[in-house]
Amino acid sequence: MTAQTVQQGDLVTVIGLEVHVQLETDTKIFCGCSTDRTDEPNENVCPVCLGLPGALPVLNEAAVEGAVKIGKAIDADIPEETRFHRKNYYYPDLPKNFQITQYDEPICQEGELEVSVEGDRRTVAIERAHLEEDPGSLQHVGGGGGIDSAEYTLVDYNRAGTPLMEIVTAPDFRSPSEVRAFLAKLEEVLEYLGVFDAERDGSLRIDANLSIIPEEEIESGDVTDIGAEALAAANRTEVKNISSHKGAEKALAYEETRQKNAIQRGRAVEQETRHWDESRGITVSMRSKEEEKDYRYFEEADLPPLQVAHWKDEISIPELPSARRERFQDEYGLNEEAASKLTSTKQVADFYEDVASEFDPDLAATWVADNLLGELNYRDMAITDLEGRFEEVTRLVELVAEEEITAKNARETVLRSMLDDEKAPDAIVEDEGLGKTDEDEVQQAVVAAIDENPDAVDDYASGDDGAINFLVGQVMQKTGGSADPGDVNQLLRAELEG
Amino acid sequence: MSDDIFITEETIHGDDDGPLAGTTVAVKDNISTEGVRTTCGSKMLAEYVPPYDATVVSRLKEAGATIVGKANMDEFGMGSTTETSHFGSTENPAAPGHVPGGSSGGSAAAVAAGEADVALGSDTGGSIRCPAAFCGVVGIKPTYGLVSRYGLVAYGNSLEQIGPFGETVEDAAALLDVISGHDERDATTHEVPIEDDASYADAATGDVDGLSIGVPTELLEGADEGVVETFWGAIADLEDRGAESHEVSLPSVEHAVEAYYVIAMSEASSNLARFDGVRYGHSSDAEGNWNERFAQTRKEGFGDEVKRRILLGTYALSAGYHDKYYKKAQDARAWVKQDFDEALSEADVLASPTMPVPPFELGESLDDPLQMYLADANTVPVNLADLPAISVPAGETDGLPVGLQLVGPAFGEERLIRAASALA
Repeated sequence: MTAQTVQQGDLVTVIGLEVHVQLETDTKIFCGCSTDRTDEPNENVCPVCLGLPGALPVLNEAAVEGAVKIGKAIDADIPEETRFHRKNYYYPDLPKNFQITQYDEPICQEGELEVSVEGDRRTVAIERAHLEEDPGSLQHVGGGGGIDSAEYTLVDYNRAGTPLMEIVTAPDFRSPSEVRAFLAKLEEVLEYLGVFDAERDGSLRIDANLSIIPEEEIESGDVTDIGAEALAAANRTEVKNISSHKGAEKALAYEETRQKNAIQRGRAVEQETRHWDESRGITVSMRSKEEEKDYRYFEEADLPPLQVAHWKDEISIPELPSARRERFQDEYGLNEEAASKLTSTKQVADFYEDVASEFDPDLAATWVADNLLGELNYRDMAITDLEGRFEEVTRLVELVAEEEITAKNARETVLRSMLDDEKAPDAIVEDEGLGKTDEDEVQQAVVAAIDENPDAVDDYASGDDGAINFLVGQVMQKTGGSADPGDVNQLLRAELEG
Repeated sequence: MSDDIFITEETIHGDDDGPLAGTTVAVKDNISTEGVRTTCGSKMLAEYVPPYDATVVSRLKEAGATIVGKANMDEFGMGSTTETSHFGSTENPAAPGHVPGGSSGGSAAAVAAGEADVALGSDTGGSIRCPAAFCGVVGIKPTYGLVSRYGLVAYGNSLEQIGPFGETVEDAAALLDVISGHDERDATTHEVPIEDDASYADAATGDVDGLSIGVPTELLEGADEGVVETFWGAIADLEDRGAESHEVSLPSVEHAVEAYYVIAMSEASSNLARFDGVRYGHSSDAEGNWNERFAQTRKEGFGDEVKRRILLGTYALSAGYHDKYYKKAQDARAWVKQDFDEALSEADVLASPTMPVPPFELGESLDDPLQMYLADANTVPVNLADLPAISVPAGETDGLPVGLQLVGPAFGEERLIRAASALA
């Protein structure tokens, strides 16, 4: 191949994803061992997840339930019957040296997820999503740190058998930022469904396929419509070891640049698997196509085919963010921005609806979307950090709604102190003396100020109107600043004139 | 004499009372026993001590049985003579100088020699029925899904079942009563209600009046003349007691041996992958990376027959060959099932010689694996069809035991027990 100069603009990036998410279940997918994280290696293990001779898998229905929820959320086809296969390969983290997974009859097929990318709504096709078991984890000690260069390797099977859902997208992404937006959206949906915990280390793992295709290969001129032939003709790299949506964007941006540079210099892009090295910010070659594995898939006879059709009808899923966002606009009259903020996580949305059910929805929106999320964001805190304190926030909104304290004091003093000092709102109001003073108290302060300052009274009587300001100041001091200065002015005049 | 029957002689006491109190049981050494080594007749597991009991072992203990030892077997169940055991061969107590059959040869020999009242074996392609026939005892291969496989070290997991041996059909049936039934640890098991809350042992009445016996002509073709003669003698006995027999056809069985070996070896290549020396079993101390260590461990730990089957199974599942072998074998399996359904619509039970030949002499068949595979022609179709079968002594030819095999419909164990109990 002769070197050929190609303009950067003539190249189109095509990306498809395989996303592994750990499903949140109490026990593992094929045995009763706990999925809780523990520091003690090989603690949550039994004959089944250790692959001891003679042990047999039994499917955890909670994992199937999670998979059906995901299927419904991505609007996938859930078949009448689904089945498990064995994927055969040798690796020290794999207790049986085969992985129980799904092959040609996955639990979810042909779904989609709508994503907003820089204001544009895009639909990403999801080819399939299937259930499988997670392998154990390896710790390489000494040497170069890899399995082939370490002095020795330790194996921990606590993770082995954790239920995984592998979600495979069509090659529908045209940029790393689209991938990031999709993954953020996917995480949001999964958390809404209550099947996934993003905080959990290793709960999200991504393999991404990236190819660069000359623009003229695109058939219809529509950048989202790339022919299978053009795709097959281009060499692709599979990038492994990505563990977050931010990491995905970085890894793919690196890989995109690497491939475009190669093409511009007239070099061929190797079809290969590459490893994303997060700390160095680069991808490194792992193996070339020649070494691609033959997994010898065949049916797992120990698990009978599973009839899932009725599960689909029996399992309900919560309202998803996009539907909830629209309902918030209709039902509470919110603008799109506020509705989006209030549906950013399920907890925020649930909390908003709690508050809006008791108080004015606009006031609730201001308090939850602007004040609360704003102050949390400023402190790098999340709504989850307020676990167990939602009643306190509701009480604060109540104090404002009933005009017990001013909105300004509520926001600037009470809320901040609640977050910084972890104090309850009533305690803060009392300690800081922020309660709006009642009229009797103001009246008493007015009388006292007149009694205690005969000189000022005389000055006022002799026509010095400025003396009234001195007296207002005295009353304000007595009421700790909680009285309204205008009201005080009028009360003083009434008392002096009377 | 008995020193070649058990790989490990160890008494495991069960509960004080129960239906098997006072009964001694030999357990095939591929059935896990907590705290007692379970070798599968292999160097690979020569020192492996399971931390848990197989479900059938728990049920034996609860029934009050006394386990007397772990019986010899072909390595990982791969053989029909018990000669592929790493621990040496077992002589047939009923035919000195001959093999006891296999792979559950030690279990059958234990019952034949009186070393145990009853025994447990496992049957992937005939591994209970072959040794039962060769040792002149009764052996039952239950319907797939009747008995829990939890704790049975897998060879061909879509084909195999644990089943009982006894001197009489009633003894074997009483053991089946204890081990059968749903197990939450084996998703392929079923709860099978039997008529009138009766037990399998109660079905051993010997009543064959009106029983219709189909004899598949294909299963007599090529069989040893003396074996065929003994077989017809046993059928005549049953007819004297009111049964009738007629010929039926199972045209698909000519492909059954090929299909069976492709499926069993494919599954074995995956089931035996876990033996890599990391967690349990033999571990090579050779130098090298993990991959080289795995390979060396397996090279040292497995015998020739096991290696042969793993290699052939790996080949049959490989890209480019999968459709030609594995998929085709699955098609043949479906065809065999269909043939049995049709034949069993024309008869209550199907009868044939269990083995087409009398017991081999020790050492006779080791050098010719293909000849050995072909001896399974009458037993493997039953595993492909997931059906129950029983082997019961039919008599002798030249002083060597001959077994009669009866095959019934799925979960038709009672019918088989009733019929077979007319003979033993």
